[in-house]
Amino acid sequence: MSFAISLRAEILKTKRSAAFWLSVLGALFIPVIFFLMYFFKPEEFSVQLKSKPWEGHFEHGWQALSLFLLPMFVILTCSLIPQIEFKNNTWKQVFASPQSLGNIFFSKFLAIHLMILFCFILFNIFMLLSAVSVNFLNSKYSFLSTPVDWLALLRLSFKTYVSILGISAIQYWISLRFKNFIAPIGIGLALLITSLIIMQWEHISKVPYAHPALTFFDIRKKSSHLLTNHEWNSIGYFIFFTIVAFFDMKYRKERG
Amino acid sequence: MSSPVIQTKNLDFFFNSGSKTLDDVNLVVPAGSIYGFLGPNGAGKTTTLRLLLGLLKKQHGSIEIFGKNFENNRIEILKRVGSLIEQPSLYLHLTAIENLEIYRIIYGCNKSRINEVLSIVGLENTGKKKAKQFSLGMKQRLSIAIALLHQPKLLILDEPTNGLDPNGIIETRELIKKLNKEHNTTVLVSSHILNEVERMATHVGIIHKGKMLFQGSLGELQQMKTKQTALEIETSDNTKSAQLLKEQFSIQQLNGKIIIPFQSKEQSAAVNKMLLQHNIDVYTLHPQQSDLEQLFIDITSNDK
Repeated sequence: MSFAISLRAEILKTKRSAAFWLSVLGALFIPVIFFLMYFFKPEEFSVQLKSKPWEGHFEHGWQALSLFLLPMFVILTCSLIPQIEFKNNTWKQVFASPQSLGNIFFSKFLAIHLMILFCFILFNIFMLLSAVSVNFLNSKYSFLSTPVDWLALLRLSFKTYVSILGISAIQYWISLRFKNFIAPIGIGLALLITSLIIMQWEHISKVPYAHPALTFFDIRKKSSHLLTNHEWNSIGYFIFFTIVAFFDMKYRKERG
Repeated sequence: MSSPVIQTKNLDFFFNSGSKTLDDVNLVVPAGSIYGFLGPNGAGKTTTLRLLLGLLKKQHGSIEIFGKNFENNRIEILKRVGSLIEQPSLYLHLTAIENLEIYRIIYGCNKSRINEVLSIVGLENTGKKKAKQFSLGMKQRLSIAIALLHQPKLLILDEPTNGLDPNGIIETRELIKKLNKEHNTTVLVSSHILNEVERMATHVGIIHKGKMLFQGSLGELQQMKTKQTALEIETSDNTKSAQLLKEQFSIQQLNGKIIIPFQSKEQSAAVNKMLLQHNIDVYTLHPQQSDLEQLFIDITSNDK
């Protein structure tokens, strides 16, 4: 009950915030690019998407997203939402309000995840719309005549979401530690680029910042398990760093 | 007499640098009082208030609020406390009503309270204006509105008039007095300006370099002030001097010295001149030094 109250307050704080607009624009970016590509090069893409139009469309979309933009989006969202408190000097008011530390910590973390899920949903909707609208303008495409494989889409979204869990917990922890938002973003970006460089390493599945990219490759392989090794690792990192971050906040000498 | 709303015992605090920020602070804020917490900048006022709200981890000593240990009853106590620490803390991308709505949800108050507190602080008509477009005075008033939202029994305000124009200062002071009178809210308000505290407080605590130098009612403070500020005179003929000075001042004789109330530097010069004119040699002529007196000079010199 009291957690729901804290969560409602957290969601209210994100109204019109930078994090909110980032989600909308982030979700819009790739669908718009795809729309333009399909619109201006119908000969090329209508052939390419002939057999399985939706599957190809969504896979290409998630590919463009997962490798770099999505982890970057997670890094930014994990910084921007705690930044609302830092920037406005409101941590002290939050900690002086009658909420348990657990509620403060977890409601904010959940608000971040709701923001990420919000972006996922928007992304899928925008991807759908970009394909449908291009088909209205150009009848060479077969999106309108082919049913969408909702289950595959759900699976794709779910696996991708699991793959960013580890990053989200690490970034949330770093973001709570630093008042200056350049620090978490810089650290996150450095780790992300490093993991993309060492993609060929045999232990890459243990590197959390490489998990979204690995999930993407995994989707192409169409493995039978819902979750693969690195996705379980992502869940492990998520649990571990969430606990670390919580106790770090709980035992800090100075709050707000 | 009712038990105090806030009581700290042997409160010490160190920051990492090692020097003691608070040294044995024993704060007693009586119920129903306006407690002026006075001290120059950097004396430890904010540190004390932050400890009271649990924003700093307590290191040594004990804190009781509403007669309950703070650490074990944090949430229960905070439900009845309104606070404003240092500069306004508002969500600048939100409107006044949206800012209040966040805290209304957290404190679980009625929707009608939002308009009530907005009218108390005179911010009814800000509409869709975001907090970032507010003047500093408006931001400060909105922060006070947040502190009042849940009708707290105890209000902790850290330098609430900082950055306000003279009008705003008077309004804030009147508001504090009104809340205290009409709702019996106990108010702990910090300030570095003696004058301001004297105009609204019923009780005063003075902190300097982390130590409480004085604590008591406003009346006790006035007494203390006159007692502490004195001019010490030692001459070749104290008896004759005493007779001369008696005509103008209330004098005291102590350990071969004459003590008169100190008023100003010019007064010292006049006393010196008068004694010399009567062929008395003056050996010593100086204001009595005490921490408290030096402190008053610090505090009053800020009163510009």
